[in-house]
Amino acid sequence: MIRSLLVFTLTLALTPALFAADWPQFRGPNATGVSADKNLPSVWSKDKGHKWKATLPARGVSSPVVVGDRVYVTCASGIRGDRLHVLCFDAETGKQLWHRQLQATGSTACHPKSGMAANTPVADETGVYALFGTGDMAAFDKDGTLRWYRSLVTDYPTVTNAVGMAASPVLVAGKLIVPMDNAGESFLAAVDTKYGKNVWKTERPREINWTTPLVRQVGSTTELLFAGPKGLTAYDSATGSDRWTFKAGGGSIPIGVIDGDAIYLPVGGVTKFKIDDKGISEKSEWAAKDMTTGYPSPVVYGGRVFTVGSQGLAVCADAKTGKVIYKERLKGIYSASPVAGDEKVYFMNELSVCTVLSAKADEYEPLATNDLGEASLATPAIAHGRVYVRTDKALYAIGK
Amino acid sequence: MHLWKCVPPIALGAILALTPARGADDDTTRALTALKAVTKEGKGNEDAGPAWKTLVSKGVPALLPALEAFDDDNPTAANWLRTAVDAIAETEKAAGRKLPADKLEAFVKDTKRSATARRAAYELLVAQDAEAKGRLLPGLLNDKSADLRRDAIANQLDILEKLARPTIKADLEKLFAFTRDKDQVELVAKKIEENGGKVSVTEQFGFVTFAALVGPFDNTAGKGFAVAYPPESAINATGTFKGKGDVELKWGDPSTANKSGAFDLNKLLDKHKDAVTYAQAVVTAGAETSCDIRVTCATAVQIFLNGKKLFQREEYHHGTPFDGHVGKGTLRKGENVIVLKVCQNNQTENWAQAWQFQMRVCDATGGPLPLQQKVTTAGKTETHKLGWLPEMKEEKK
Repeated sequence: MIRSLLVFTLTLALTPALFAADWPQFRGPNATGVSADKNLPSVWSKDKGHKWKATLPARGVSSPVVVGDRVYVTCASGIRGDRLHVLCFDAETGKQLWHRQLQATGSTACHPKSGMAANTPVADETGVYALFGTGDMAAFDKDGTLRWYRSLVTDYPTVTNAVGMAASPVLVAGKLIVPMDNAGESFLAAVDTKYGKNVWKTERPREINWTTPLVRQVGSTTELLFAGPKGLTAYDSATGSDRWTFKAGGGSIPIGVIDGDAIYLPVGGVTKFKIDDKGISEKSEWAAKDMTTGYPSPVVYGGRVFTVGSQGLAVCADAKTGKVIYKERLKGIYSASPVAGDEKVYFMNELSVCTVLSAKADEYEPLATNDLGEASLATPAIAHGRVYVRTDKALYAIGK
Repeated sequence: MHLWKCVPPIALGAILALTPARGADDDTTRALTALKAVTKEGKGNEDAGPAWKTLVSKGVPALLPALEAFDDDNPTAANWLRTAVDAIAETEKAAGRKLPADKLEAFVKDTKRSATARRAAYELLVAQDAEAKGRLLPGLLNDKSADLRRDAIANQLDILEKLARPTIKADLEKLFAFTRDKDQVELVAKKIEENGGKVSVTEQFGFVTFAALVGPFDNTAGKGFAVAYPPESAINATGTFKGKGDVELKWGDPSTANKSGAFDLNKLLDKHKDAVTYAQAVVTAGAETSCDIRVTCATAVQIFLNGKKLFQREEYHHGTPFDGHVGKGTLRKGENVIVLKVCQNNQTENWAQAWQFQMRVCDATGGPLPLQQKVTTAGKTETHKLGWLPEMKEEKK
């Protein structure tokens, strides 16, 4: 037990993302799904435990993102799903600060579960960058001023994915990284955050893919680790040139987690590999086949790996050995990825029933099961000591 | 210094003449010009950003000029303008001020304006005057804005059902003619049937219901998509071709679509894989007519009109969105040959076996055009209204 606590504490101390209080992108700091915040809520319901609740104009499966005193959310409305919305709320009060709308310029075809507000926006202290499944992309200052707008389907007319696009952009050193794997002209691009123009654009295989790039620092180079059906490729974020490819790291929906010198990839369940400056080792450290993923990505927290499969099989495994500590079938269908913080792990199903587990428990012992009573496919965000949940109808700031 | 601030006076004069911005001051006009000048890959964004701020800073006086500047043929610029309209309206609302309702209402009624802009104006108006819906919607049943039309039809259907007049069948039939969205077309058709009437959904959609087929040609490794096999340039359904595996092919007699306007190639030809087939239809127009040729298909397609390629998309088994593929063209007076290239790949999953298409010829709103289909079988030619189907027996399941 003492050893577990030591590992837990050491892991918390070594993970740089954990010092960030914001939740600026899909799955938060460094796409880990982990927050350093304390005093996070365990118990809530449809009517209790919220700091505030704000009505949303339409559905979306994108996550809310939180930077400073702002929460940003995207939605898509209309029978054709072609009205795109970007909204900004005061993180403390839930007051809607601004709401901007765009008319979709690309196809709105998608799987019925998804929608055009599927890509999670990314924010920094200056504002928010929203990419939609239609290929519409816009940057807004934090006061709602439109900084720039691009129609990627106008720019690159063969871009198409009738299942719907959902890969989320990330920010790296003044560049917005845009993942655009699809059945037509596919690319990974960097656009400048000031004017939205291409800095570089690297060709990718013409295959549909919904993964979000991971970012890591290797010496003076910032690498983008982008998984696709044919493998995981590292790109130099300054130039877009590819540095190496790990063919066994292929994927198309859930994304991996980098934790120190290890990377946990959602392949064959979850498989742990060593990662160094040259790339990912061919030989795995361990593979946990029980850790099925489906849509949700794994989360690595407190020396443990947590997963939930689309059908609700939640698994907790030791991050060092891959040994399964416990597994439990949760009720419902899962699209949202689990998130963690304050020694808790949050698993939210598609009906917004959230099972909260202790990250340290050696058995399945839910701290609470909380029901908001609304459909939601979006991964929650954690910031300011709160859990932000967007359902099909509303945005909740849960906690104090 | 930004470009839009440096426009020389002569050029500005020309721009002013071209920009339909009534009552706009010079700053507003220059800002609108910069916003309308954005093009591909962010070209013009440097100037559009400051222009956006200028436009929004002008407040309500810039609202109508911004709406008037929308151009549905330049959706990139329209989105710059759309967000500026939002920002202006939001500032006014926060200040407790009303927007100019009379001007917005007049703008909504002005059908020469952009459909997107008119919808935006309608929503702004309705947000501050809920009664505007009742005033405006009855006049928007045949609107070019898909969303305004949709709301108008829903509103009218609600009225008709509440009134339940003896003339409801005829009232519904009139309403049916305005329907465009698939769900509304089918809903109103069903209500007409419930009231003892009958309308043709396939004619309302303008489905091509007779097409000659020829195939399979080779599409191994998807390469056939880029190969222009001879039927692509066919002007009639004659001739022989060398197909996949050197099999000699010729156009078959026109096949008939099923009751929902679909041609199931797996049934009409065979369950070919790595294959290309062509469907040819002859459509007759009484005058030169702009048209959409809209195709619903789960696999890669190319659309040709009178030998000219209008559209192509190389995507397989990612879904079958209605009207997912749209080619825009112009029908000439008289006979027009429409050729659809439909490809199939070699995926083995159960959900990837579909090989079928629906094709329709309609106006830009998705509405029916006065077109005929020419069907020639064994030397005998028949002409039918586009979308016409002979009475069919129920298909065995």
